[in-house]
This record gives sequence, structure tokens and C-alpha cells, in this order.
Amino acid sequence: MTTATINPPPAVAKPGLFGAEEIKAIKDPLWDNNPIAFQVLGICSSLAVTTRLDKALVMGIGVTLVTALSNVLISSIRTFIPNKIRIIVQLVVVSGVVIVFDQFLRAYMFDLSKQLSVFVGLIITNCIVMGRLEAYAMQNPPWRSFLDGIGNGLGYMWILAVVGLIREVFGSGKLLGMQVVPQALYDAGYVNNGLMVLAPGAFILLGIIVWVQRAISGYVEK
Amino acid sequence: MNTSSNGYVMGFAIGICVVISAMLAVTANFLKPTQDAAAEFDRQKNVMMAAGLVAADDQRSRTALEKLYRDRVEELVVDTETGSVAAGKTVADVGAMKSPADKRRYRVVAISKAADGAPESYVVPISGKGLWSTIYGYLALERDLVHVRGVTFYKHGETPGLGGECENPVWCAQWKGKSILDEQGKLVGVIVKKTKIDPSIPAEKAHKVDGLSGSTITSNGITRFVKADLTAFEKYLASLRTQQNK
Repeated sequence: MTTATINPPPAVAKPGLFGAEEIKAIKDPLWDNNPIAFQVLGICSSLAVTTRLDKALVMGIGVTLVTALSNVLISSIRTFIPNKIRIIVQLVVVSGVVIVFDQFLRAYMFDLSKQLSVFVGLIITNCIVMGRLEAYAMQNPPWRSFLDGIGNGLGYMWILAVVGLIREVFGSGKLLGMQVVPQALYDAGYVNNGLMVLAPGAFILLGIIVWVQRAISGYVEK
Repeated sequence: MNTSSNGYVMGFAIGICVVISAMLAVTANFLKPTQDAAAEFDRQKNVMMAAGLVAADDQRSRTALEKLYRDRVEELVVDTETGSVAAGKTVADVGAMKSPADKRRYRVVAISKAADGAPESYVVPISGKGLWSTIYGYLALERDLVHVRGVTFYKHGETPGLGGECENPVWCAQWKGKSILDEQGKLVGVIVKKTKIDPSIPAEKAHKVDGLSGSTITSNGITRFVKADLTAFEKYLASLRTQQNK
């Protein structure tokens, strides 16, 4: 009998809810592998919706939810998706999730949804979302994909928030709609920086943020 | 299972479409009442913005603003053919009207009142084609029914940053003080000029506003429908003017 001699298969360590892989999935995109600063994805929306901090935050939350949710959905059906049409299947799922988010915005945050206008719909084409589906969710189990989605969304959101904060304070002297630059300063001749309200201002800021982030994280051009 | 066979691919594609459409249909139906209420509140807020009762970035709560609308704004149905208030027709009746001819004839005007109840401004709805979409807005006239008190555009599908700038409060602020009648008392409306206006020319200073750069068609559309809608209301407005002059 040869079967008796066969060793039992090596015990696979049952991964905990927050094993090394899981921590990596959520922590990496926040800094080392940041979708904006490192991969330079999702630039279009980060220029368009960062004139005010609240817009940037809602957009960030939107992308986080959409990435996480579509990662989970795609990951749970990944073994059934025919390889030939996988991209279009991903797109259908992403679109569905984005439209649902847009509908909720319209019902509960009408003002913001009007200001975000087309950019909520454009989350569908945000490369971060599709990128994570193709690169991560198609190979990994749902829970880990969920964390990866949350991580990437938050990585996107914090950069947007920083840009939004700087633009709102220097561009309109406000923060979350409240005046923060005192009137006395305006009386003394201070003026809001008009460049900050326009897209080029965001471009310059974003460039500086990418530079600083890369200088600290030690990015090397391969 | 052979997941690359044509039959499987077709089946999968149909399946996923059905599931996602069902999800969207359920969400849309479920949220419809809340969305409609939010849109109605936005409309009311824009009437008040045009009339100068609230600022665009007003921080007051939704309940407070809704109360303000109930207290200070009165909506009336105007029969634009006779130029008088249509007795017996409510705002809800107009909303339910189906035929385009009826909709053109019966229009709703909002009158905002000062704290003591005296009419402060007359707000007429304006709408018409821009470049991509129908633009909806409100034009508020001063008590004299000649000068513009304020304007807002609250619903449109124009290109953000170009035609979409029609909702920019800075641009709308220029409309204040423009006269919709010329010196002979003929209706001219408010004209969105291509390029900037020259304030040294009296006719431009009185009737024109700066164009929206990069959006000639939106600008022309606004000029056209503002005039068309004011023309429709003119009989009613003229009768109010004669009443005031008595």
C-alpha cells in the first residue's frame, strides 16, 4: 500500500480576518502603492472635483464604496466570468454600482450631486476602479478584494482631500463652506488666489504632492 | 464547466445584465419620492434666490428654508392669454396639464413678499433650449416690473465649465438691475451678448450681460427663451404696471 506513506497535505494556515496579506491589501495603496501619487491614475477627477473639501470628500467616499463593492462582486463571481468578456462584465458591474451611488446622492445630498454633476457618473471610467478589478479582484477572494478596494479608495481620497483643503482655503478663503480667512486679512489687502479655483491650480498642487510623496516614499524610476 | 463556449458566454452576459438592471430598477423606484422632494426643495430655494430672499450658500436648514418659502412666497396661476390671474386653477392643476397648448397658456408666477406682506418681487419661470438640454431657471423682477432683481438657472445639462457656467452666481449677479423694457416701453428682455458688454453704451448697460465664453449656443438660447417667456407674461405684467401707476 503506497497510500499510507503519502504525507498529509501541508496544513494551510487558515488566514485570519486580518492576516499579513489583508493588512498589505489595505495599507499598500495608502502610501507605497498609492493610486494617484504612485500609479498616477484617476487624475481627471482629482482636478475637477477638488475646488472644495466637501466635494472632494464625497467623491472620495464614492470611489471608495464603488471600488470596494465592485471588487467584492467581481471577486465572488470571478471563477464564473468567461475570460473573453471579463472586461465588459467588470464594466457592467461598476456602472451598476456607480448609478446606485448617484441615485442615493440625488436623493439625500441634492446640492452636492448637482455640483459634482457628471463626475459621479465618470467614476465608471476611473482607471482606479477598473485597474483594481483586473489586477486584484480577478485573482483574490472577496474579503481581501474588499479590503484592497477600501485601501485604494482611501488612498485616492486622502490625496483629494489634501488638494481640496488647500484649494478651498487659498482659493475662496473657506473651509467646508465656512469662512476661515478672517475679514481683517482682506481689509489688510489679502486677496484669494484665483489660480486655486481653476484646474491648472489643481494640476500644480497635484504635481507637488506627487513629488513630495515620492521623495518621502523613496520611489525609483524603473 | 467550459466557460469559454459561446453558449455559456451568451448566457452569462444575459444573466449579468438582468441582475444589474433589476438592481437599478429597484433602487430608482425606491428612491424616487425622496429625489422628487429634494428637487422640489431645490426649485423653491431657487425661487427665493432669484427674489433675493436667500443667498446661494445659505447655511439655514432645509426645514427653515421651506418655512420661509411658505411664509414669504405665494404662487399664482396666470392665464397668459387674458393676462389675468386664472381663477379656480391651482398650481397642482398646472402641474397635471398634459397638452402643450394648455401649458403655454397657464403659467405659474411666484410673488415674494416683504415681512409686512407687501409684494416685493415677481418671479417668473423661464426655460428653453440651450445647446444640449432644456435649461430651467427663474427671473425675478423688482416691484416696478421693469428691472431685474435676480436670476437663477437650476436645472440643465450643459457642459460643465462652459454652458454650465450659467448657474455661476457671479455671472447671474450681473443680471440685477437690467431693464426688460426699452425707453419706449417695448419688451426687449435681457440679452446675453457675445463677449463682454461695453458699459459706456447706454443700451448695452441697460439690457445686456456678458456672454459665457465658449458657449455661444447656450448664451443665444438663454437670450431667446428669456424673451419668449417674458413675452408670454407681458400682458399680465403690463396690467400690474398700470395698476401700480393708478
